[in-house]
Amino acid sequence: MPGEITITTEAIAQVVGLTAAECYGVVGTAARGGRAGRLVSRDRPERGVEVVRTPDGLVITLRVIVEHGLNLAEVASTVRSHVRYEVARLTGIPTVSVDVHIADVRTSA
Amino acid sequence: MSDLAGVRRLLEGAAASLEASRARIDDLNVYPVPDGDTGTNMALTMRALLDELAQATATTRPALAHTVTRAALMGARGNSGVILSQIVRGAAEVLGDAEEFDPGVLARAFRAASDTAYRGVRRPVEGTILTVIREMAEEAEARAASERAAADLLRAVLERGETALARTPALLDVLRDAGVVDAGGAGLVELTRGMVAAVTGEPLPEPPPLTELAFEAVHQERSEFRYCTAFVVLGAGLERESLEREAEALGDSLLVVGDASALKVHVHTDDPGAALTLGTTRGTLAGVEIADMHVQTAEREERLAVRTPEPDAQRSSDVIAVVAGEGNRRLFTRLGAAAIVEGGQSMNPSTAEILEAIEVARAPEVVVLPNNGNVIMSAEQAAELAGKPVYVVPTRSIQAGLTALLAYDPSLGAEENEAAMREAVASVSTAAVTTASRDVDLNGLRIHEGQYLGLLEDEPLVGGESFDEVAGAVVEALLAAPHDILTFLTGADSPPIDALVSLVEERHPDVEVDVQPGGQSHYHLLIAAE
Repeated sequence: MPGEITITTEAIAQVVGLTAAECYGVVGTAARGGRAGRLVSRDRPERGVEVVRTPDGLVITLRVIVEHGLNLAEVASTVRSHVRYEVARLTGIPTVSVDVHIADVRTSA
Repeated sequence: MSDLAGVRRLLEGAAASLEASRARIDDLNVYPVPDGDTGTNMALTMRALLDELAQATATTRPALAHTVTRAALMGARGNSGVILSQIVRGAAEVLGDAEEFDPGVLARAFRAASDTAYRGVRRPVEGTILTVIREMAEEAEARAASERAAADLLRAVLERGETALARTPALLDVLRDAGVVDAGGAGLVELTRGMVAAVTGEPLPEPPPLTELAFEAVHQERSEFRYCTAFVVLGAGLERESLEREAEALGDSLLVVGDASALKVHVHTDDPGAALTLGTTRGTLAGVEIADMHVQTAEREERLAVRTPEPDAQRSSDVIAVVAGEGNRRLFTRLGAAAIVEGGQSMNPSTAEILEAIEVARAPEVVVLPNNGNVIMSAEQAAELAGKPVYVVPTRSIQAGLTALLAYDPSLGAEENEAAMREAVASVSTAAVTTASRDVDLNGLRIHEGQYLGLLEDEPLVGGESFDEVAGAVVEALLAAPHDILTFLTGADSPPIDALVSLVEERHPDVEVDVQPGGQSHYHLLIAAE
């Protein structure tokens, strides 16, 4: 059947945002510039996520808020591998890099 | 028995039980990423915890709880290790304050372990280790009043853990599809089994035979060190700890496992020779594997070696540009950039590298030209961290950066320069020709791997087998809007462009064409139209 399938960067950003929210240690994603790290609402999972297409694949940057008292390096490393894996699984587009910025650390109630 | 000795015995039992099932748990690992390292990560976390306890001197119960919590946090390896560290932390908080370890206290400890583990994630996924610890806590609470002995309560909790684990495939599709139970949950069950054995005095699970570790599973992330080095040392009376201690100084991702007759070593290091020497001084080597993880290391070293020229006292602001390609670097330097940070499409510099260049610049203010969409954020972060006023002009290409630099006036401050540069950048249009690295079908355009790919303002425009045709098409697209000057920056191994230049001059006699050897990799041609 003829036809084109296009995956927009917004759709990919949503996949990234939803995946990040499921990663252990991540209690939120932070919108860029929001230094205090606002918690992202559930209907806007792509906030705090930047996806850039390059001829080699996707360059993904995301800003997350992590629960206090966790090993930040290990959490960031998990987020990177989980995001890379899910994006490849769901979109078939390879990822060149995933930069994880820990924008804030907070203690939940 | 002192508290410290008791905790050690309990955790040693847990670790031994986990170790016995490590390989099996690795094989179960399909979620969140099927990289087969859950058992190894949990075992390494437990080992770090025990190593720390071996040196601990805590005499009071709260101090001991603090030591355990901290050791688990610091030693956490991988996703499952991080969750385990939270489970340990929650339990330690309750047990550290308790007078006696009766069923009621244990139930509260399991509850705290579960709650703490759940707090660490925004959207908990059921069918994982989280489900198992929560059900264990529920069982402990349900039994707390009726069970009189702590050992009986633990046994009941273990049984419930096994049931919960068996049901994980029903809760998580990935597990059901793979026909496995959750690996992290399985690890937690084995840890609990070991604790039951330690408390009841039943024999500990059999110690594990020396098994091969999957190197790929140990550390999939890119290391700052260059060589992944792995080998086996064969000998007699080999000491794991001493080898581990010495290998630690050589790099990261260290793993030393085995027994007195054979030790397997895995380390990421810049000096594989030194790592192998650690083996040859102790015994004979076998199974040596050395892999170069970064072919880009040499370029990185070169990039770090770039230093700022002597400062000019008249300068009010300096420009720092992120540039790829020898020719482009010379161009930027010639046009007045004070420092170049090497980097570009496939090799983005870190915030630290940009920050270093900013700090080295001697002018009181700095303008940064990131020259790549992927570098803008790093540049902005560096600007925030810098100890002087720094303005970032968000240039998304080398061409835009060059245009911005043409507007630069060293006698003006960074803010004024930034405004002028932004204005200049707004007037430039850019295009590029690269090679498609795979079949792409984006934005309705079908291009096959290996074909030339023409980009207009970063978006795929045209593809094909002929460089001249693809390049010609993007030039025509650029010149659809009125422009006077075309700048061509040729790549490191780009095809000849004479034919293209003649064609453009023939079709557009009013347009001036300026060809510069850019030397960038990845892009055969970068084009700016002003």
